[in-house]
Amino acid sequence: MPASPAQLEVRGIGKLFGGLSALEEVSFTAPAGRLLGLIGPNGAGKSTLFNIIAGAFRPSRGAVLLDGRDVTPLGSAGRARMGIGRTFQLATLFHELSAMQNVLQAVLCRAPRRTLAGLLQSEAYRREQQACEARARQVLETLDIDAYWNQRAGGLPLGVRKLLTVAVALATEPRLLLLDEPAAGLSEEEGRRLMARIDATLRGRCTVIVVEHHLKLIQRFCEQVIVLEFGRVIYDGPPAGLKGNTRVVDAYLGHD
Amino acid sequence: MNAARLVVALVLALLPLLTPTYAQHVAIVVLINAAYTVGVYFMLRMGYLTLGHAGYIALGAYTAALVSTRLGWSPWIGIALAPLVAGAAGWGLGSLTMRLRGIYFSLSVFAFGEIVNATFRAVPALGGPAGVAGLPRPAFAGIALESHLAYYYLVLAAALACGTFLYRLQGTRFGFALLTLRTADEERLAQSIGIDTPRYKAWAFAACCAAAGLMGAVHAHYLRFVGPSIFTFLYSTDLVVFAMVGGLGSFAGPLIGAAVLTALGEQLFSVGYYKSLVYAVILIAIILALPGGLLSLPQRLRRAR
Amino acid sequence: MTAALLAQGLVIGLVNGILYVLVALGLTLIYGIVHIVNFAHGEVYMLGAMGIYVLHVAAGWPLPLAMAAVLAASWAAGVAVERAFFRPLRGQWLQLVVASVGISLIAQSLSWVIFGAQEKYVPSYLPGVVQAFGVRIQLERLLAAGVALALVAGLYALVHRTRLGMAMRAIEEDEETARMLGVDSDRVASTTVGLGFLLAALGGALVAPIYSINPGMGLETILMSFIIVIIGGLGSITGTVLAGLLIGILQSIGALAFGAEAATILVFGAMIVVLILRPQGLMGRA
Repeated sequence: MPASPAQLEVRGIGKLFGGLSALEEVSFTAPAGRLLGLIGPNGAGKSTLFNIIAGAFRPSRGAVLLDGRDVTPLGSAGRARMGIGRTFQLATLFHELSAMQNVLQAVLCRAPRRTLAGLLQSEAYRREQQACEARARQVLETLDIDAYWNQRAGGLPLGVRKLLTVAVALATEPRLLLLDEPAAGLSEEEGRRLMARIDATLRGRCTVIVVEHHLKLIQRFCEQVIVLEFGRVIYDGPPAGLKGNTRVVDAYLGHD
Repeated sequence: MNAARLVVALVLALLPLLTPTYAQHVAIVVLINAAYTVGVYFMLRMGYLTLGHAGYIALGAYTAALVSTRLGWSPWIGIALAPLVAGAAGWGLGSLTMRLRGIYFSLSVFAFGEIVNATFRAVPALGGPAGVAGLPRPAFAGIALESHLAYYYLVLAAALACGTFLYRLQGTRFGFALLTLRTADEERLAQSIGIDTPRYKAWAFAACCAAAGLMGAVHAHYLRFVGPSIFTFLYSTDLVVFAMVGGLGSFAGPLIGAAVLTALGEQLFSVGYYKSLVYAVILIAIILALPGGLLSLPQRLRRAR
Repeated sequence: MTAALLAQGLVIGLVNGILYVLVALGLTLIYGIVHIVNFAHGEVYMLGAMGIYVLHVAAGWPLPLAMAAVLAASWAAGVAVERAFFRPLRGQWLQLVVASVGISLIAQSLSWVIFGAQEKYVPSYLPGVVQAFGVRIQLERLLAAGVALALVAGLYALVHRTRLGMAMRAIEEDEETARMLGVDSDRVASTTVGLGFLLAALGGALVAPIYSINPGMGLETILMSFIIVIIGGLGSITGTVLAGLLIGILQSIGALAFGAEAATILVFGAMIVVLILRPQGLMGRA
């Protein structure tokens, strides 16, 4: 499926929102193929950091590097072409299109546009189109939602929609995948199944950054955890070390 | 399916031979408006309302007018240049306004249309308030297309070219990607999978404007005249009304809307204000009572049974 | 361009500007709170002027009565339009815009039919000219500008200091939450549209003696209003005020220097520049 996973380096990221410092000196590295969790109490800056890595926000300071290349000047479309895929918190999809068409949009982004051939509907173009459609169905199958392929995306149940957003991001063959609260709104069981499927599909083949509030999922699936508090990194290490770390415990207890 | 298409093709090709000149005139105007409306529909399908299409039509029409009268060149050159001029302008304005949500686009296109008219009205070299008269009819195989009947076939060819181009464009990957632009959220998603949305939007708009320009040039040579009183805001809104009344469900919608309302309008033409009034009332009625447009009528009737 | 001419252009520009602001404010208000671009705004402006002609000149009513009637009618029309067309179509932005275009067409067409194409004139409310520091200006225009200024200030006070204003701002921010907090968004919606219509009609009534009246005068006005709200930022009152005054000045100085048609093109050029450099408008939200 995807090409080789990419290493993500976040270097000295700072972000000011009109005088308020949302992020301050955030630096960490996610080695290629790592499944990394990004957690922290509300308002810690996870969303901001996530959007900066995804290219939706510009940082006030610092850089984002993919395999050592500085991608900071690129916007989200540019980063997508570099192999960064992402999901959105509210299960954003192309609501009027079918599930298959949603994924097809992403698959087609990897294929050359060839509009002239499209206008003439050449044989080669049509065959390429069919191959892309087959690929889209395939991606749906790996996430076990192929049964819904022909249904309008806006009408699907939330659990399926969340899986579909991951399918769309996967279809772009990302080397770095950013998941924004994939388990939000799902039951514990559904959330666990979602993470398990992502883990099984992508383990070792794609670097994954997950922002989550469900600490159990993070502890179970992630190899590395970054904890943010007030815009700063207060922990960077394996999930096992979280419980014993007083700063992390304080940060969460202090905000409850 | 193909039998139906064949019948339509035969009707389009042969019916004018059997009808009086006035009917041929109506047929010509219907085809012209249908071609314009398809462009408006193409933008609507993407979630963008163009309220100044007449401005781009005017650019094409005036190009043809000035090229054939001031420069004395063959009308075919003007007809060939018109889509380039209109398309380039569309690409320019599209690039500027499409970073924003649709309403800024709609207002800007409206403003642009008015400014185009104002410019042509103000500059004597471009015709001024009196416009440009005396456009020759283009000649085919040595014969000038003077009669309504002869010109009808040119209009038919141009309308088919515009319609087919936009229809095919809709079916390409580019056209498919345009479906991702309907709301601000969906656009963000589109960008996150690598679609450079402002560029796509600008090109889509350029395509519609080029088609408008081409048809505008053909329109101009039909009238043998262009002037600021023709391609007005009222005309732009007429086109939007045709598209909405026909229905936005498929490509057939704008065609139906344009055909029905243009034919109706030609009957009411004697008093221009009444025509707009009738159009507007029909529009409001459709929006409130039959939102899917005339296209959705068979479906509604079936459900009513 | 002498200093005196410049000063003249500046003053006339400011006066024209504040009148533009009055009309454009109605548009921005309706868009900001009910999220509808009211294409019929130009026609309301025209009907305001036409109403004064019909009631005061043709029917001979005393001016204050005619004014009051026009304002009351425009308010009522706004509320009616909101209830009959905008409310049932809520959420469908395309249908809303097109419906407002349809309403504008109906209003315009009916006006051409009922009132005819002949230019109509309303006698001056306050004849005379004042001259100071080399600048000449009709008292009429000063009066209109003064009233407009008072109204703009009043609108500011309304939006920022009254409960209605708070409700309006709450709805603009987040309608669902506002509703949950007990704001009657339906009533605020019809009040807002009524207010917007009133501002437009008042603008028309104020300029009735200054320009000639015909059913087509709404188009030019709405074009200018749109350019102003694009430059100022859709939905921002401050932006509309700033942009309106700026455009008034630009147009007036441009007309003195290059002629009226060129001035319009200049104004459009300003819009293009703003779209390139700051596309959401001077005070608009990105």
